Amino acid sequence: MDITNLTFLFYGYSAGWIIITLFVLMLVARGRKIDGELARLKSLVEDRER
Amino acid sequence: MREKATYLLAILAAVVMIGNLHTVFTQLPDEAMQGAVYRIIFIHVPAAINADIFFTIALVTAILFLATKNFVYDSITVSCVEVGAMLTFLNLVTGSIWGRNQWGVWWAWDLRMTGQLMCFLLYMGYLLVRPAIAEPTQRATMSSIISIFAYADIPLVLMAIRLPNVRTQHPGPVLETGTLAPEFRGPFAIGILAMFLISSALVLVRLHQESAQREIDSLRRELHAR
Amino acid sequence: MSGLQAAWAIARKDLRTELRTKESINAAASFALVILVLFSFAFDLGREELYAISGGLLWLVYSFAGALIVNRGFAREVPNDCLDVLLASPAPSWALFLGKSVSAFCLLVIVEAISLPVFGLFYNIRWTQNVGPLVLVILLATWGITVVGTAFSAVTVNVRLRELMLPVLLYPVLIPLLIGAMGTTTALFGGEALTGDNAAPLKLLVGFDAIYTALSLYLIEYVLIV
Repeated sequence: MDITNLTFLFYGYSAGWIIITLFVLMLVARGRKIDGELARLKSLVEDRER
Repeated sequence: MREKATYLLAILAAVVMIGNLHTVFTQLPDEAMQGAVYRIIFIHVPAAINADIFFTIALVTAILFLATKNFVYDSITVSCVEVGAMLTFLNLVTGSIWGRNQWGVWWAWDLRMTGQLMCFLLYMGYLLVRPAIAEPTQRATMSSIISIFAYADIPLVLMAIRLPNVRTQHPGPVLETGTLAPEFRGPFAIGILAMFLISSALVLVRLHQESAQREIDSLRRELHAR
Repeated sequence: MSGLQAAWAIARKDLRTELRTKESINAAASFALVILVLFSFAFDLGREELYAISGGLLWLVYSFAGALIVNRGFAREVPNDCLDVLLASPAPSWALFLGKSVSAFCLLVIVEAISLPVFGLFYNIRWTQNVGPLVLVILLATWGITVVGTAFSAVTVNVRLRELMLPVLLYPVLIPLLIGAMGTTTALFGGEALTGDNAAPLKLLVGFDAIYTALSLYLIEYVLIV
């Protein structure tokens, strides 16, 4: 493979993967928050029922 | 079950993507004018095409929500818009890096870049306004309408930037002009498929979160009612 | 009472209230004048350069003033639950929307008629040489701004930070309209005729107006009755 412009090819693909990874991390963070909230509310409902 | 399907899809997406990149990096020859950097198109263009696909799904589900008031459709709309906006952003950034290398500038106000940027801004409006509406039915209705308005703008944007006084320097769309060499077509199509699988897995994760969020909302209402 | 009569009644009501207090028309007109003055400090240009951006300047002023005016459209009906009363009246919701759009259109045209001579005077632009075509372009683009603006003013009426969210939604959608209006207006200020390349944006303006008028009249029912 030709070495010309290889640096920018590397930058391009790195940027692509970084964007996807950041999006996935955002999803994971939001998922944790939602799961925590759901667990908290469920235990709250159970407490009230008792 | 649903979680397993998501994982399977993600693994499948990874396999297809890695296999395709292996072909792209080791089998394909360098392009005569650009050298190695042309390989960016194997994620740059699939991102744009898949963004269009997901925005179109979002349009259909937005209309379906207005017709049926079924909140599942609204969840699909917001998931697709989020992933579509991410893909548009990916498309813009990789395009900008390619442009810096080939044209010498990060940003050129050329036809397609401008169009994609406007598309991105339109759907960012959707994503910004949505959390600002507190009541769930109103939030779903208003965001559905915003996404319909945004989609209706895309053909107008494309028409506006093609007006006679607007200049362009983007390479012609490879699929329309048919300048893509035969040996590139296979990896190109698989690249689109790989990006579609990745995005679909992300949409599924997001959808799952939306249904959990609806459960949270209903639990809250239940607690308030007592 | 037919729908059109109801729309006319709503438009007359809104215009009468506005012309009695002159709240938003005064605000929008003085805002337009302030921007016009500010531009002269922002750009230190020769005559030729100024002509090249004159259309852009004018439409920036007009779209800023437009956002101020449409912001009031549905927001003014929120206190005292006036909106609920209007919706309970026999007037269909599309007539309510049409009336509000017409009144916003008239107000914005008044503001534009005030600021156009001032613009010509400050920047030494001879706008009178092409006044017929210029009025046509201004009316077409102004209707586009007010119809989309009024629709989004209904969408954002219950949104937190309404005044911030309206521009976030409105300007990206208006971009194609403004691109068309800016180019043609610049050409008209330069004394060119409204033919050939200069007439192409007219189609865009008409298309934009048609699409968004139809879409808003159809969807407004879903926006107002949630």
